Amino acid sequence: MESSDEQLCRAVAEREPGAFDLLVERYQERAYRIAWSVLRDREDARDCSQEAFIRLHESAGSFAGQSKFSTWFYRILVNCCLDQQRRRRGWRRLVGWRDQRADGPDEPDPVEQAPAPFTDPVEGMDAERRMTRVWALVDELSPQQRAAVTLSCREGLATKDIAAVLSVSEATVRVHLHRALSTLRRRLGDEG
Amino acid sequence: MKDVHVDEWLIDHVRGDLDPADRARVDVHLTACADCRASRDRFAALITELARTAPAPPPIHWGAYRAELRERLERRTAGPGRVWGWLVRPLPALVAAGLVTVLVLAGLPAGVRPPDPIALDNTILATELDMIARLDVVQQLDLLEDFNVIGELDELPEPQKG
Repeated sequence: MESSDEQLCRAVAEREPGAFDLLVERYQERAYRIAWSVLRDREDARDCSQEAFIRLHESAGSFAGQSKFSTWFYRILVNCCLDQQRRRRGWRRLVGWRDQRADGPDEPDPVEQAPAPFTDPVEGMDAERRMTRVWALVDELSPQQRAAVTLSCREGLATKDIAAVLSVSEATVRVHLHRALSTLRRRLGDEG
Repeated sequence: MKDVHVDEWLIDHVRGDLDPADRARVDVHLTACADCRASRDRFAALITELARTAPAPPPIHWGAYRAELRERLERRTAGPGRVWGWLVRPLPALVAAGLVTVLVLAGLPAGVRPPDPIALDNTILATELDMIARLDVVQQLDLLEDFNVIGELDELPEPQKG
């Protein structure tokens, strides 16, 4: 019978050979995808998702089993991503990068605002362009809002799990999601 | 939950993420509030669109990813030893540099000193005096040089013997 994630995590804590590799194989794609959704940079996503696995290896013994393993691991992962985002913003401030828009300090680097890698092969396909535009607008949300939208709409996590991952209350998650989706609706509406 | 408006509960309502009691309250509010109903429908459309159109991250080679992760993990678990290793790594280089310096200094002959300027002047003067003593030869060399002969000495016929 296949071991559950929680059993594997305990095996990692006891340094059982192969347990860590199994967990990595199970979660590598999700970890990389979530990291990329938050950071929108391939190398940063690779780096942060690997860092999350390393922290998992180091702290597997502290997993109490009170929450699902996935929630516990996503929390480590999203923390890595938000730390990375903060470092990146700090570095930009240091080197004098300035956002030209008035929307707020969380706006991403213009280079990173390249549309998501969709193909738009046929001119005039408004629906396709709109899809691309929706996720380009998601990129412009604050990191916390983007993480909430990603975990909710993409990964299908429940509000209480998102709250655990982001270390905030469920009410705060609702506010994040409401503001984020309202902003998207408004901007999409403004564009017609 | 207040019954005034249910804005912040609408998203959870769309996602089916409310407990039965909260869901019932939102349902009651929605039957009476057209604004919230319209808002709920717009949120539902957007959430469906986001779920359907989520972009895929750039592809990655998972074998290389795991190998890199394994290497990082080994480096990290080596931990303090590695840090100490980095700290002591310059020591052999310093020791080697010190040894080379000692050997170079020890290998120098004790008498080697920078040239004495007075002795150098005397040597030059002596050379010039010697040239004056052989003035006839020097003059001949100068003469030959003037005629570009020195540069073509190898082309001169060999002197006849006898």
